Amino acid sequence: MINLTALVQSLRRSLLHIESRLLQAAGLDRQLAPALAVNGPSLLPQLDKEEEVEQQQHHPGLSDSILWMAAPKKRRTIEVNRTRRRSDSKLLKVKNNIEPCPECGHLKQKHVMCGFCYAKVCRETALIRQQIKEMEGGPLRAPTVETVVLYEGETPSEQDKDKRIVERSRKRPAWFSQ
Amino acid sequence: MRLTLRALISHGRVARKMGLGPESRINMLRNILTGLVRHERIETTTARADEVRFYAEKLVDYAKRGDTDEKAMKMASFWLTEKDLVPKLFNVLAPRFETHSKGYTRMARLPNRENLDRAKMAVLEYKGNPFPPLYPVKKDNELTLINQLLRGYREDRAQQLATKA
Repeated sequence: MINLTALVQSLRRSLLHIESRLLQAAGLDRQLAPALAVNGPSLLPQLDKEEEVEQQQHHPGLSDSILWMAAPKKRRTIEVNRTRRRSDSKLLKVKNNIEPCPECGHLKQKHVMCGFCYAKVCRETALIRQQIKEMEGGPLRAPTVETVVLYEGETPSEQDKDKRIVERSRKRPAWFSQ
Repeated sequence: MRLTLRALISHGRVARKMGLGPESRINMLRNILTGLVRHERIETTTARADEVRFYAEKLVDYAKRGDTDEKAMKMASFWLTEKDLVPKLFNVLAPRFETHSKGYTRMARLPNRENLDRAKMAVLEYKGNPFPPLYPVKKDNELTLINQLLRGYREDRAQQLATKA
């Protein structure tokens, strides 16, 4: 640590010296790079001496940098460890918004749809979409009329007059009323 | 009194960032919207469904102007990348929502995706689609005890009123 402060001091001294030399050479206040370039030869021997002085001092090696890294001072006791590991933010939260779905009885969250009921609907829509795909017979052929799904034994009613009819070869499920 | 750095803290910012930038966000929403108009019921992440909802309803509002309207046709052809959906929009969706003033879409949250990311999913649909409903309509069962008793009571009351009059 002492070496470090000495190093820092020497660096600071050299920097101030360079600055004073530059100001002298330029004869102006606060003009840096051009002044240095113009008066190169006159400053060079001075700079060499400064570098030699620095090299004689200790380089900041790995041993020095280790000395000023953060490290724990004492072993954390089991009590401190326990309080950290079991703090409120790290414990699992209790959910009290779980309830059984009134349709199927599977558990669901209050603000979320029942997974089982949705899967049931998904399966039926997938079959309907397969039928639609067969009817359309190719990509990019969406019709310009509404679609209605009719199950076995159903005839198109008054409202379904100008709609495209998708036939499904099964009995109408109880949960899909018209 | 501004106490914080404007760029780093987003308190109160409501606009969502999606994808690689604003243009990417619009392109992504355009694709999702095209899918929604084609299939009338789609399943995406909650944030995307929420964003698309606004654009879906605005698109139907434009479609209601009719396909002779220049602005409406430009909007429809920009937002629908598959051009066979433009006639569908004007001839199917616009008449369907003639009587509705707003609220053409329905969004419901689903259980999280099964993948490693456990993303929040939502299902977004246009109302009046031909598929089975997400929330089945509950019909009252006439044969439950309470309903039978109430029916008996109603009949008795009607009989009493009839004999009184």
